[in-house]
Amino acid sequence: MEFENPRYHKQIVDDLMTGKFILAKERHFEDLKENASYYDNFFKNSFGYEFILTPNYAYLISTETNENLSRDICIFLAILCYELDKNGINFLDKMEYGDFSVDEIEELFEHTAFEDLVKSNNQLKDTDSRRKLLRAINNKNITVKHSEDRFSFTPAYNVFIDFAKDLANKSQIVL
Amino acid sequence: MINEEPISIFNFISRHFDVINELYTVQKEERIIQKEIFEKICSKYNAEGIRKTLFRYKIVKPVQEDFELRDVYYNVIEYILVEFRPMLPDEIEKYGQSISDLFMKIKEGVYGDKLILSERIIALSEEVKKFTEAVEKNKIRLLAETRELKANVKRIDYSEKIQKASHWTGYYILPMNRILDVNYSESITNKLFNVSEFVNQKRLNFEDEGLRSMFERLHKQLIHTIDDTRANHKTFINELLPFIERIKTESLILTGWINFLKKPYKTPTPKLFKNERNNPISDKMFLNTKEYFEMFQTTEDVYIDEDIDQIPRWMFNKTLYKTKLQVSLPVNDFFKWCNTEIKHEGELTNEKLLSLMTLLFDESIQISADEKSDKTIINTVNSKFIVPKLKVTKNGI
Repeated sequence: MEFENPRYHKQIVDDLMTGKFILAKERHFEDLKENASYYDNFFKNSFGYEFILTPNYAYLISTETNENLSRDICIFLAILCYELDKNGINFLDKMEYGDFSVDEIEELFEHTAFEDLVKSNNQLKDTDSRRKLLRAINNKNITVKHSEDRFSFTPAYNVFIDFAKDLANKSQIVL
Repeated sequence: MINEEPISIFNFISRHFDVINELYTVQKEERIIQKEIFEKICSKYNAEGIRKTLFRYKIVKPVQEDFELRDVYYNVIEYILVEFRPMLPDEIEKYGQSISDLFMKIKEGVYGDKLILSERIIALSEEVKKFTEAVEKNKIRLLAETRELKANVKRIDYSEKIQKASHWTGYYILPMNRILDVNYSESITNKLFNVSEFVNQKRLNFEDEGLRSMFERLHKQLIHTIDDTRANHKTFINELLPFIERIKTESLILTGWINFLKKPYKTPTPKLFKNERNNPISDKMFLNTKEYFEMFQTTEDVYIDEDIDQIPRWMFNKTLYKTKLQVSLPVNDFFKWCNTEIKHEGELTNEKLLSLMTLLFDESIQISADEKSDKTIINTVNSKFIVPKLKVTKNGI
């Protein structure tokens, strides 16, 4: 019996099973989109994972979550958005169309109003920790590196932006 | 009537703009300048002369006991400072009505009285001008308001920001869009189109030359106005509306983030993939499988023998040997005695010899050693013991 699978099957499974977001601009995204139903069943039936496909990116959700990384990314993005807005920068535009330098991030986190939170978080407390976190975020394809010290966000960051919107909507309902 | 040279009035305003500006600010906030405040401002600038001139030039007028800047001056300052309030679209819509009414009358009386026709053309032109100006002012003001909201100059909180943005969208920008949208049949722009079409014909074929030239000027004005209106409409659609929507979205996101940052470790965050098993096509799988099989890979043959003839284990009977020792006392060489006594129990092992040695600690016996005498050699199955000659006697009487 011959096993028929989509062209970039190995790359798709490799990426998704290491927790990466596959982005619309990547060559295997088209393959993934065309075979969305196959992969939905494949991951559900093989491992019990949930396969999420949006027009801009795709990713997997496992039963157990990588909670620490998710929380660290949320804190990082929350402070970043807050500080950019405080400096009069349109943070959504900046995240969608602009890029960041590591020095710029350092400047924002060194002078943040959330200093206590930053200092008490092992992934954010100092330059080395923040660089490590940025590497982890980059490995997930949430950011893309342009050079050693410049990066920009990929559409995958919207998972976290949607999370913030949901939180705001929930709090408004409570009010 | 003002019997003054206009240039003198402008010079006065220029010289004493601080006073006039302060009066303007009070009136802007309070809608009127209370008498006490008016006096206070004038006296602050030591301005008794100014006070009189303000009335002589009719810049200020009394309103019962209080005062106000005359509209014309108020509007000039407001215009110069770009501080006019945004007009409600309902206020602007009235121009649509007045333009329609005048247009109907011009159409109906186009071949009637020439004088009233020319006056109506002038009136229509005036209304169009006021409409254009109102739209322009609203655009400027709304842009300023939204930029201020974006920069959050007043440091309002994000939920209030969302409310304000919704207010600007709902009550100003969307209704203004309806007024300016040429595709909407009731829009003022559409009305201007109809007027322009009619005026275009009349500027070409109207018999009276004077009126024809008035239609010509009105036509030019209308074309210019329609162009401006389209440009302003574009600003509303392409700039203001997305800008406001952006503010709303950003404020919503920031509200969410701030709520999250209040309890960052208690709020469940988005689920991220966590790998808990080996990937069937990963590189690790090969090594893991290899390791698994290697665990069962044997290098030597192993045979299992059943224990058929089991030798019962020797147990030390301390009471028996203690009695034997006491009977044999005195013993000149304890280890030799051990060797002799244990022979009938099979071969001598370390375990047997060491067990017998425990008898030496019994309180009923006494031990002594002759250091000068030769050592006794005891060979066990496992070892060779070189021990002193120990003399054992009965302890006590």
